[in-house]
Amino acid sequence: MIETSKYHATQTDLANEQAIVEAAKKDASKFGSLYDKYYEQIFRYIYQRVDDKEQAFDATQQVFIKALESLHKYEFRGVPFASWLYRIASSEVNNVYRAQKQRTVNIDSVGVYGVIEEIGETKIDQYHDKIVDIIGKELPEDELQLIEMRFFEKRSFKEIGEILDITENNAKVKTYRILEKLKKIIK
Amino acid sequence: MKKKINLNRPEISSEEILKRKNFDSVLKQTTSVGAKPLLKKPWFLSSVVAVSIAIVATVVLLNKNKTPENVQIQEEIIVTDDAALQAFYKAEEAKPCISPPIAGLNVNYTTYKIIAEKGASLDFKTGSKITIPKNAFVDEKGNVLKGEIELRYREFHDAVDFFVSGIPMTYDSAGVKYQFESAGMMEILAYQNGKQVNMAPKKSIDVELASNYKGTEYNLYKLDTNANNWSCLGKDKVKEAEPTSVQKSLSAQAGDTKIEETPAYVALETKKVEVKKEKEIQMAILPKPIAEPMKPEQVKKGKPTFDLDVDPKEFPELSIYKGILFEVGEENKNFNTSMYDITWEEASIKEGSKSGENYNLTLKKGLKKYDLIVYPVFEGKNYETAIKTYQEKFNKYKTTLDKRIAEEKRIEELYQEKIAFLKAKQDAIIREEKRRMANQYAQMETTQKVMRMFAVNSFGVYNSDCPSFYPKGVICTANIKNELNKNLMCYDVYLVDNEKNGLFTYYKNPIARFSFNPKSKNILWAVENGVLYWLKPEQFATIVNGEGEKNLVLNKVAQKFESVEEMKTFFNF
Repeated sequence: MIETSKYHATQTDLANEQAIVEAAKKDASKFGSLYDKYYEQIFRYIYQRVDDKEQAFDATQQVFIKALESLHKYEFRGVPFASWLYRIASSEVNNVYRAQKQRTVNIDSVGVYGVIEEIGETKIDQYHDKIVDIIGKELPEDELQLIEMRFFEKRSFKEIGEILDITENNAKVKTYRILEKLKKIIK
Repeated sequence: MKKKINLNRPEISSEEILKRKNFDSVLKQTTSVGAKPLLKKPWFLSSVVAVSIAIVATVVLLNKNKTPENVQIQEEIIVTDDAALQAFYKAEEAKPCISPPIAGLNVNYTTYKIIAEKGASLDFKTGSKITIPKNAFVDEKGNVLKGEIELRYREFHDAVDFFVSGIPMTYDSAGVKYQFESAGMMEILAYQNGKQVNMAPKKSIDVELASNYKGTEYNLYKLDTNANNWSCLGKDKVKEAEPTSVQKSLSAQAGDTKIEETPAYVALETKKVEVKKEKEIQMAILPKPIAEPMKPEQVKKGKPTFDLDVDPKEFPELSIYKGILFEVGEENKNFNTSMYDITWEEASIKEGSKSGENYNLTLKKGLKKYDLIVYPVFEGKNYETAIKTYQEKFNKYKTTLDKRIAEEKRIEELYQEKIAFLKAKQDAIIREEKRRMANQYAQMETTQKVMRMFAVNSFGVYNSDCPSFYPKGVICTANIKNELNKNLMCYDVYLVDNEKNGLFTYYKNPIARFSFNPKSKNILWAVENGVLYWLKPEQFATIVNGEGEKNLVLNKVAQKFESVEEMKTFFNF
């Protein structure tokens, strides 16, 4: 699986990024380096949640257009600029769902194996299809998002917390609750 | 909300994603807030398409003596009074000889850097070979060039390649138009410092073009981009192809099972070792089993015994019993009862050859020394008590033993499950790798048939072709329309016949008169403003020969092809 996380930003990184944001507020062309830096991860975030590649490319472009248009409203909160972009991306993805009246769940077997391992089971043949079915059909949206980010996008709890605007610990606790729930369902 | 599940959807490479980056477009669309993006404004085409096509007369030069099924469409002349349509035709006809119909989609060049004064022999991925002699390049003034030359080379082997390249596949021979059926086409260009250079006089480049077509009916043609026509250069030669170094390397790679050396596989192998170590640690920390108690034996009548004090620390298996006697075993042939009469100075006991069952008794006095094998036994009440003690101890021993066995079994089963899990992952890697190798083999198969050999003495596009006519069978006069039932503003309409390796182009549309072989699998392509439309093979069945003008609704291809390979996959090439 291609790793999507580039979240490990130092304080210096964050300060440098903030300087670029401030410069871009005055001169939109300065936004280019942020676009270059985050284009792929925002695309992958969107593509994980939609069915069509072209739609994902269009939505990615829209995210950056909206980000640039709203840049003057952006306030630095000590987390990477990406978390703000992810919120815009999430809203863009919701627009796609509304338009299509359909939510796409992209599941990969390696991620499913990870879920099976995490709930302390090893019989992949027995549980793989069941887990796919539950994740795809039964989990409510908030739980699905956590499983998607943790197991299919391989994000850290810190990153998940920042994207979903919850604490790292909360992300962890919620994820393990969902895993407990999955364990009970499949047994 | 409805959910759609995609399982194991192929990933998109970073390269493909990054290719779509377009910051300029973001800037452009951001500065014009509230305005519709330019790409969503089909102002030109909507207005053009909206123009009604009032008077269109089609005069087709046909052999009137033939039946419709057998007639050969030779040429179309469309006369129109519609100014917009005339302007459209004029614009289309003014386009360069090579005009790719879909922007951004073309057969890519492979670039080679060579030294002009040394020449080079180059292998292309399809198996083709290009041999460039020394000093083969001159500048526009005819000066022989030295130093680095950049060669750009590409090949075209099927209708998709021909289509996306925009290279015309029509040949005009003394006023008769033919459609090419190709055994392979290539383009070779040379540059120095970004400037196009020419081939030196009396020099030629030898080309061995890998081809799937063995026939000798093909001629070699060069495209004259100024005259917008092909020049016939004669016949090429055909030879059986040998595997190239690229193919040999592919073959070696495919045949050599190195899957076990891939990082993913090795990581799982390491994990297996870790899991085994983990199991061994778990086994090692299990409580140690207590010793199995010795089953008491009753003294045999008339058998000599010794009553000895034994150290309970030295013999814990005996310490649980009281009143132990040591019976002299049958194997002691040197024993005689007179030994009882001797007051021994020393009697020591050691574990015997049968652990827990017999012991070695050593008796010493002065220089006398006897070694006897003895068996612990009990007499009378001591035996009954010993049996009771034994039962208690044995039950305890059995319980702890069973518990340990169960625990060992649990650890072993868990270990086996983990190993099976890792093995399944490894098997998945092997399956995927084998699939990839099978694809490589398939690729080798298709690129290893014949070599079409010829020499070229100038740079440009060369085609090993056989002139033919449009496919015959059914003639259709059609209004080519989109899904909104509007005429498609397309100048060229392309027919693909899977029995012929060509691309049959019908000009001056959107009213198309085309013929096709109903026994073949056919596809019709049209492009409006860079968007591809197609008539599916099954739609051809709805066309009846000679039924008059027909509205043909083409299907819009929503997918934007990132590569020629994607387009080939889409159309099952």
